[in-house]
This record gives sequence, C-alpha cells and structure tokens, in this order.
Amino acid sequence: MHLRPSTAGACLLIACIAYAQPPVAPANESTEPNRGDNTAGYNILQSFELGYRWDTVGGDDGMYRSTVNYTNGVRLLSGSLAVQSRDGHGHWFDQILLNTQGLGNDPYQSANLRVEKNRLYRYDLLWRSDEYYNPGLTISYGEHFMDTARHLQDHDLTLFPQSNLRFFLGYSRDSQSGPALSTVQLFDGSGDEFPVFANIRRQQNEYRLGAEVNFFGIRLNVLHGWEDFKEDTVNFLNSAEPGNNPNDLTTLTSLRRNEPYHGTSPYWRAALFREGQKYWAMNGRFTYVAGQRGFVQDENSFGTDRIGASTLRQVVTYGNADRPAVTGNLTFSIFPASNVTFTNTTSYYNIRMVGDSFYEQFTNGSPITPIYSFNFFGIQTIANVSDVQVRFKPWFSVHGGYNYADRRIGANESAKTGAPPFAPGRIEQTNRLNAGAAGFRLKPANPLTISVDAQIGRASRPIYPVADKDYQVLSGRIEYRRGPFRLTGLARSDYNTNSNSLTTYAAHSRQYAVDGSWTPKDWFSIDAGWGKIHLNTLGGIAYFIAPSQSVLGTESYYVSNIHSGTLAARFTIARRADISLGYSHIQDLGDGRATALAGPPGVTSPLTPPGFVAAQTFPLRFLSPQGRVSIRIAQRVRWNAGYQYYGYREDFSILQNYRAHTGYSSLSWSF
Amino acid sequence: MRRGERFQACLIRAAFFFLIPGLIPAAGAADYVGSNVCRTCHSDIYSTFYRNPHFKSVASGKEKPENTGCEGCHGPGSEHVAAGGGRDTIPMAFSAAPPGKILDTCLRCHAQTISRANIRRSVHTGNDVVCTNCHSVHHSQTPKFLLQKKQVDLCYTCHATVRAQFSMPFKHRVNEGFMQCTDCHNPHGTYPPTWRTADRPRMVDQAQANEEPCLKCHIDKRGPFVFEHPAVRFEGCETCHNPHGSVNARLLKRPVVFTMCLECHSGLGTFGPLGGIPRTDTLHNLADPRYQNCTTCHVRIHGSNSNIYFFR
Repeated sequence: MHLRPSTAGACLLIACIAYAQPPVAPANESTEPNRGDNTAGYNILQSFELGYRWDTVGGDDGMYRSTVNYTNGVRLLSGSLAVQSRDGHGHWFDQILLNTQGLGNDPYQSANLRVEKNRLYRYDLLWRSDEYYNPGLTISYGEHFMDTARHLQDHDLTLFPQSNLRFFLGYSRDSQSGPALSTVQLFDGSGDEFPVFANIRRQQNEYRLGAEVNFFGIRLNVLHGWEDFKEDTVNFLNSAEPGNNPNDLTTLTSLRRNEPYHGTSPYWRAALFREGQKYWAMNGRFTYVAGQRGFVQDENSFGTDRIGASTLRQVVTYGNADRPAVTGNLTFSIFPASNVTFTNTTSYYNIRMVGDSFYEQFTNGSPITPIYSFNFFGIQTIANVSDVQVRFKPWFSVHGGYNYADRRIGANESAKTGAPPFAPGRIEQTNRLNAGAAGFRLKPANPLTISVDAQIGRASRPIYPVADKDYQVLSGRIEYRRGPFRLTGLARSDYNTNSNSLTTYAAHSRQYAVDGSWTPKDWFSIDAGWGKIHLNTLGGIAYFIAPSQSVLGTESYYVSNIHSGTLAARFTIARRADISLGYSHIQDLGDGRATALAGPPGVTSPLTPPGFVAAQTFPLRFLSPQGRVSIRIAQRVRWNAGYQYYGYREDFSILQNYRAHTGYSSLSWSF
Repeated sequence: MRRGERFQACLIRAAFFFLIPGLIPAAGAADYVGSNVCRTCHSDIYSTFYRNPHFKSVASGKEKPENTGCEGCHGPGSEHVAAGGGRDTIPMAFSAAPPGKILDTCLRCHAQTISRANIRRSVHTGNDVVCTNCHSVHHSQTPKFLLQKKQVDLCYTCHATVRAQFSMPFKHRVNEGFMQCTDCHNPHGTYPPTWRTADRPRMVDQAQANEEPCLKCHIDKRGPFVFEHPAVRFEGCETCHNPHGSVNARLLKRPVVFTMCLECHSGLGTFGPLGGIPRTDTLHNLADPRYQNCTTCHVRIHGSNSNIYFFR
C-alpha cells in the first residue's frame, strides 16, 4: 500500500499536533537558565507561574468533575524556591527546596518542602489537597455520591542523616471531610432502599520515631509508630422518602445514624541489612502491627414497613475489632562469581482479625433478642522465592526463579442470641502455590535490547474463582535506542484458568504497546504511542430469577478491548516561542456488538435477564486534544496559554456524556 | 558556546595541560587530585555543583579522597589529568560503564537506606535498569532526587501501557501531579507481597505490615472490622479494582457491579461456613434491576462493624 503524499502529510500533521500528558497546565517550559541571586553565602533561585484557568462544560457536569474537575479561577499554577549554601556551611540550613502546584483552589494542590543542614538534619514535608468529587454514575442507582476534600501531609525529620547513628521522627495526617449521599436498606430483608445523606468526617494521625545504627557494616533500622484513626460520620434523612421500589409500601420518614469509630494501630518495624560485600548480601524486615478499633452505632429510623404499618426502629450496635499482624522477610544474596547472582527470600505473614459485636434492636418499643456476633479470620503465609541470574556475556543474560507459597486460612463466624461463649466452629483451608519463572535478555547490537520473560504458576485450592490458579504469563519487550531516536515495543499475555466444583473461570488479558520518541534537534521533538489492552473473562455464575427460580451453569462473558493512542510534538521557534501540541485517545471497543442488548456478534447469550446481557460490555471513548504556546517576553518572563478539550462518550448511553473546553493563560517568572 | 567562551576554554585547557601535570604524581597507579583540579576544565559543572546533593562530600572536608567530590564517583583522576582529558582515562565514566559497575559505584554510599535494601534483586536491576537510567547527577530536572525528568515522564518512558491506563477517564491523579508512581511503587525493589502469595505484583511498596499501599491513603478501608470482606485480605484491592486507571467508574474491573460480585458469589469453592463463597439467596431476583445494584444494600462492602452482610 502506498500512502499518497497528502495522506502521509496528514499523518505527520496528526503526529505533530499531539501531546501526551494531560493536563495542559502548568507549563513545562522553563524560563531562561537562571543563576539566581547570591546573598549572605546563599544562592537563591525562585520561579512561579501565575495564571487564570477557565472551563466550559456541556453534558454531564458530574462526570466532568469526576474525571477532570478543573474549574475557573486564579491559580498559582506552580512555584519553586531553592536556597542553597554556596560553601555547604550555612548557619541554620544549607538547602531549602520548595515546589508547589495548583495553589489557589485547583482540585489537585501540592507543596513539597525540604530543609537540610548537612550532617545535622533533613526535614521533608509533603502536603497535598484533593477535591474528590464522585457522582453516582452507574453504581447503586446513582445514589452513592461524594463531594469531599482530602488533605494529606507527611513530615519527616532525620537527625544526623550522614552519620552511623541516625534518628527519625515523623508525623502524617490524612483527613477527609464533606457531604455524601449513600443508601440504607430498611426495615427488613424484603424492604426497600432509601437514600441517606452523610457528613463525612475521617481523620488519621500517625506518629513515627526511629533510629538506625551501623555496626560492623550491618545496618539496623528500628521504627516505632502509632497510627490513630477516628471517624464520626453522621448519616441522616430529614424528609420523607418513598424508596426506590414503587411497588413496596415501605417508606422512610426520618433517619439518623451516629457511628463513632476510633482506634489505634501501634506498630514496630525492624530492618537489618548488609550491603557491599563481594560474595554476599543480606537484609531482613520484621513488622508487628496491633490494630485495634472500637465502635458504637446508634440508628433511629421512622417510617412504614412493607405492610404499611408505622414503624419506629432503634438499633444499637457496639463492639471491638482487633487485627494483629506479624510479618517477616529475610533475603540472602550470593554472588559466587561476578556474573552470577543468586537470591533467596523467605517471607512470613500472619494476620488475625478478631471482632465481636453486640446488636440490639427495638421496634416500636419492643426489643428483639440481642445478637452476639464473633468473627475470626486468620491468614498465615510462608513463602520462599529463589532467583538466579547468570550473565554469560555482556550482551546475553538469563534468569530463572521458583516461588513456593503455603497459605493457611482459618475462619470462625458465630452469631447467637444469648451471651458468649460461642460454639467452636473453626474452618480451615490451605492454599499452595508453585510458580516458576524464566527469561533472557539479549543485546545483539548496542542500540537494540530484547528481553523475554515467562512465568507459570499452579495453585491448589484458591479461595476465589478470580484468583490465580493455573496461570501463565508471557511477556516480551524490544527497545531500539540510537541517538535521539527511541522505539519500544512490548507484548504481554496473561492467562488464568481457575476450575472448581461448579464451573470454570478463565481470564485472558493481552497487552500490546508501541512507543517511540524522536528528538532530532533541540528545538523539535515528537513522541507517539499506541497501546491495546484486551481483556476477556468467562465466569460461571449462579443466581435466582423470579419466582425464586435457580439458574445454574450459565456463564458471564465480559470483553473489554481498549485502544489508546498518545501523540506529542514540541517546537521551539526562534528560541523565543515554544509550541506544544498533543492528543490522547482512549477507546473501549467492547465486544463489537451494535446495541447494548444485542449480545456479542456470533454468540447467543444464555443470560436471560436483559441486565445481564447489557452488563457484559461498555464501549466508550475518551479523547483529549491539547495545545500550548509559551513565549519569552523578557529574559526571565514567559507568557503561556493553553487549551485542552475533553470529550467523553458512551456508546450505549448518553446520560453521562460530556464535552469540556478548558484553558488557561499565565505568566512564568524566574528570578 | 560563543567564540569568546571557546577561546577561554582553550586557554584554560592549555594552561592546565602544561602546568598541572607537574603538580600531580607521575603516571602509574592513578591517584586522587581533588575536585579543584577537575574544576579547571569542568567549570560548567563545578560552578553550580554546590546545588547538588553530592556537594556535601566536598563541603564536609572530612571525607576520604575516594569519597569526596568528583573523584568520589568517577575515581582517581590523575591519569585523566595527565592525558589532558578523554573519556577513556576516567576510571569510572558512567556513560561507558556496564550496569553492574554503575550500581556498585552508587551503592557504595547509597546502600544505606532501607528503601534500597532490595535493589540488587529488583526487577529493574535484573533488566539492567540501574541508577543512571533514571537519575542524572549533572543534568537533573528535579533537584530533590536528581531525576532525569519529571518522575511520571520517566516511568512512562518504559511503561507505555501504564501511561495508557493513567489516560483513562477514571484514574488516580498521577498525570495531574497530585500523586507520584512512588506513592505505591518502590523502583528500587521491594519485599514479596505476602498479602497474596508472594509472586505478584512486584515492585509494589508496602504499607505498615505488608499491607497494600492503597491503605496509605484510603484510611477508611483499612479497618480492622468485625466483619471483613475476605477478598480484600486474600487477594487485595485489585480483586475488584484496576489501580492505575479504568474505563469504569470507581476504577472497577467491570462497568456494572453485580456481574463482578456474581463471579465469586455463585456458591463456588469449599471454604466458608456454608461450604463455599455464599451465593445470593432466593430473595435476590436478578431479573429485577434493584437486585442488580448490590452495593445499594451492601453499602459497607469493604468491611463492616455491625452487619455481616455489610448493610451498615
């Protein structure tokens, strides 16, 4: 096939109007190299980008906010500060590095700070803020919704960072708050579902204290931490709701649920490692976490039950949950020759989840018999992984490995009316995995690298059909890198078959990607990538349809066929103007059917409810072209402007489709 | 380089060539000459080297010559000086060194951190992806970790399919700069993930005690709960979610929840008080759309304290 010049030109043009990395702002272009100002023995470099961001959205605004969420307003799109001692002997500090992004109400804001005094201390701060908007979408009738703000901060102080005895202090905080919508099912198992509002309030604080000592070439690192979590979200409904099911007489007039939940997870971590030996190296890591939580739940609801009788119900539940976990990893590496590495890792993991709760319910003032519940759930895993790598030639190496894991799982679920003790009812199952891996790496010519890896595993009695059982993974990668040109191709196939007593589950995923970049001149570069992620799963399912009719032996066949493309180009014109153009395209072709209820072509679906058929594929398209121009208007000042379009379209539904035009204009200044 | 600058460089090199060799030991076993000698020719690097974290070794003044400044990494420079430059005379020229040697050189100092305890057995090292594939000591774009490029761009260079996943409509905000790949992964290697059976996934960093890194941020999913959803503990969050990105809401593996639930909850297997994974009961008429929205009733699907069916 010959491409006509116009076609080839169009292809090149498409390639050139491309840029891979959304979002369009902040600008990537930096101002001219800046040597900063010298004062009092320090060198100070600063830069910031200040601008205005705008957006217009057509279609489903909720979906836009869920996937993109940039809004109008003035932003400090990015900022940086570097203060560095010129001789490394500053008085209070030798280095301050500060980088910020999106300050001023962008949905994704962050600040990263490092302050350091050589040999004395190093302090790191990472602060992040995220506007998490999650509309109902296709989940739960669209009644699960969140509009929360999440703030995260991590502080780490290292004392004497370059000495043989170091100390660590740390503090982290993670909080989430904001309104949400959820659902509640009342008043019995055949009742109805109602939307309820929630005011989410969650907070986690973590404190860390540790030390590391180096003795005889062995490093011992010990860390003690305390993680404290509390949640006191309140769920409520203050107005009458008929419920989701119009044929049901159940209604809810009001509801209030308080459920404070609080606990601490103190933990220890000890690590031991030895590096730099000619013939061997070792390291180990051991942790113990004692997770504890206590809770109370108090729920008051008022409405009518499914026969229309007025119902006032109060539920009180309280109890505790513990989850101690012990883990250990010990790794030995042996280097019998300079081209041979043998590594063996033994891992131990023991986790026990023990919980008890007391449930008491009053309906119209009459109590039901309280229910005591006890739940035990434990996992103990011992795994051993061995790897060997032999480099026969500088251009050819092979590697292989074997992994054995023995996982013992125990559970005991008891619920009874009346006080403990509970009747013993522990059940156990052991799940073993044997997996082998092999591969080689070949460099037949200097710019060319080829690597192939394969893994095959056999697991006995996995608990879940979707878990790995008889699986095989084959992957290959080829890279050509010569001067300013790089081309990479990769392919991976992951096949898992999981048989059990009722049916067979099989999943097959294939990934292919080609990615290249070319930078022939310092004023021009181009990147392009294409990828295909194909997944098809076949799972046997069992369910009921009316009237209580059991359906066995049917299969759920799901196909996702995702194609992705990214293109990017960047030009510099007369050393003054930078132009970036880009395009990103994601498309799930599904299983190729024409309509949601048609079923895949050539396949007669055995699934009778239409909802099943429609759920087996979900073709959609998400694309985003963008362009940005950055012009140097003075030696240290640039003007930037950008535009990015987002288009989201589902093939079988239009309710969540949107298109959005976003853009910004900013000034970058460094001094 | 402009003509004037080029002339200055030639002069300096000429002076260096004729004068300095007389001040350093005779050729033979290479010897350390000190960073100030290197500075004579490599002034472009040295003039801003105080901004580099490796300048600590120079500023200290207490380190041994083999751990100080340029020669701390590149080796003794006397032969290079005597030869008047040239890559072949640099004992450790990173651009020409094999991957193993680069790793050994960097780990002489950088092995001290626990996060790099598994670097020799990591997948990256096995594929000859070593320090200088990601870090650039002299031409870094990020002053903190001396990365060649912004972290996400660096990772995408090889992990093209991951770039596709983060371009999907539902994704963790990595492209937006809110998160980094290293929030969940340790590119220097990790311990086996025993929350599954230690074979996969690899290079995923652990939270407190071999927990999935998801729980570092998703604090409300950590528990412990009186009633845990066992799938979370057996197989991890990726049983139901695609962590990088998905075309489905909430990073789910399926566009509709009930098919995903039924793939396990069909009475399969032998484990559990009911002799298998509990099947939906007769009340659940799956032909009725209300029963196709599992999490409308089973709200606390990750774990609950008050209800074994995750109702509240």
